[in-house]
Amino acid sequence: MINCAEYRRAVLADPRDADAELARHRESCAECSAYTERLLRFEGKLARAMRVSPRDAVAPGGAAFGGAGPADAVVIPLRPRRQRVPRRWLAMAASVLLGLGIAGGLWLAAPHTSLAAAVVAHMAGEPQAWARTNLPVPAPELDFVLRNTHMRLRPDAGIVSYAQSCAFRGYRVPHLVVQTGMGPVTVMVLVHESVSKPAPFDEEGYRGVILPVSGHGSLAVLAKDQSGDLASVEKIAAQVRAAIEWTG
Amino acid sequence: MKDDAGGNLNRARFQAICQSLRPDLVRFAFWLSRDQALAEDVVQETMLRAWKARDSLKDETAAKPWFLTIVRREYARSFERKRLVTVDVDELIAKEEPMLAASQDQELAELRAALFKLPEEYREPLVLQVLMGYSTAEIAAELNLSSAAVLTRLFRGRKQLRALCGEDTSLDPE
Repeated sequence: MINCAEYRRAVLADPRDADAELARHRESCAECSAYTERLLRFEGKLARAMRVSPRDAVAPGGAAFGGAGPADAVVIPLRPRRQRVPRRWLAMAASVLLGLGIAGGLWLAAPHTSLAAAVVAHMAGEPQAWARTNLPVPAPELDFVLRNTHMRLRPDAGIVSYAQSCAFRGYRVPHLVVQTGMGPVTVMVLVHESVSKPAPFDEEGYRGVILPVSGHGSLAVLAKDQSGDLASVEKIAAQVRAAIEWTG
Repeated sequence: MKDDAGGNLNRARFQAICQSLRPDLVRFAFWLSRDQALAEDVVQETMLRAWKARDSLKDETAAKPWFLTIVRREYARSFERKRLVTVDVDELIAKEEPMLAASQDQELAELRAALFKLPEEYREPLVLQVLMGYSTAEIAAELNLSSAAVLTRLFRGRKQLRALCGEDTSLDPE
């Protein structure tokens, strides 16, 4: 059994470490549990601080290769050695970077964020999903939302009270709300997003975890922070994952 | 890297991958170099090198670490080429002030300034972990360190950062 100093040393190195022994210590030690909560709040701020927004009006292709970029575009001069590159290669690279420059506008309008932050940001757009209710989504509607994911949710997961197919980081993904013992819990099925290990997060009033699902990307499970602590959310997330049957 | 049809990665797919990865790569390069112009330059060079070497990317799901490794190499090259000199951190912060304070959130601006002050040996693994979502093992592989060394750097880096930000560190272990 680890002591408090060992626990804090471990979580200072990796606050999202899902190690079972750390979880056991956290559950048995109120002081370390509170310490972790404070550390995770700091982590949320740190992640936001690192997501700086690169400057506007950068048109790498247009500017660098003589295209007509915006007036205040950053002109990155080619180094002399670049001019020895064969013309065919230059043309191809220019085409690639021109595409990037055009796409840059779209990107700057909606900066990419970490997966957890993107999931949390998505929540703000559908506050109605969080209603406490016993009314399940009709089966055909749920089937329609899950049609491309090759999965179905067994009834023991809980009542699915909300099901939408949502645009998320370039893909349509199922956004479900399951009514559980700790209240409504959101589940996003992210078959296009792989994570190497469970990644708990506590950001912007939401607690949750992104779980890897072998061969099927990942699963984001989150609750509003007043619903319960991180350990409870992780427990619910494990139950939801266990209630999924993959059909393809 | 092969596309769905089994052929070489086509331009459209390459563009899509670059588009999705570029924001985080620029951010990573920025925290590495603490210089926005240099970060953008490094990522541009990275994209060119990546396109040229696209056949060496065998698995599209490994694109992110593949690009990131090129960013690190390209940054090292630019460092050698330009023979950058050590500058005062306060000058760096003042130079990048518009970007650091872009959120108009004082707390975030202070945190960013504190990150600037963090030694590179602590800053880089921390950025890989927090921004890029790397596991300890992945950071160790990228930085050619043992996992234990990575954990030590992360522990020290986070501890220093919290102290720089005025967080309550009274319960932090030595």
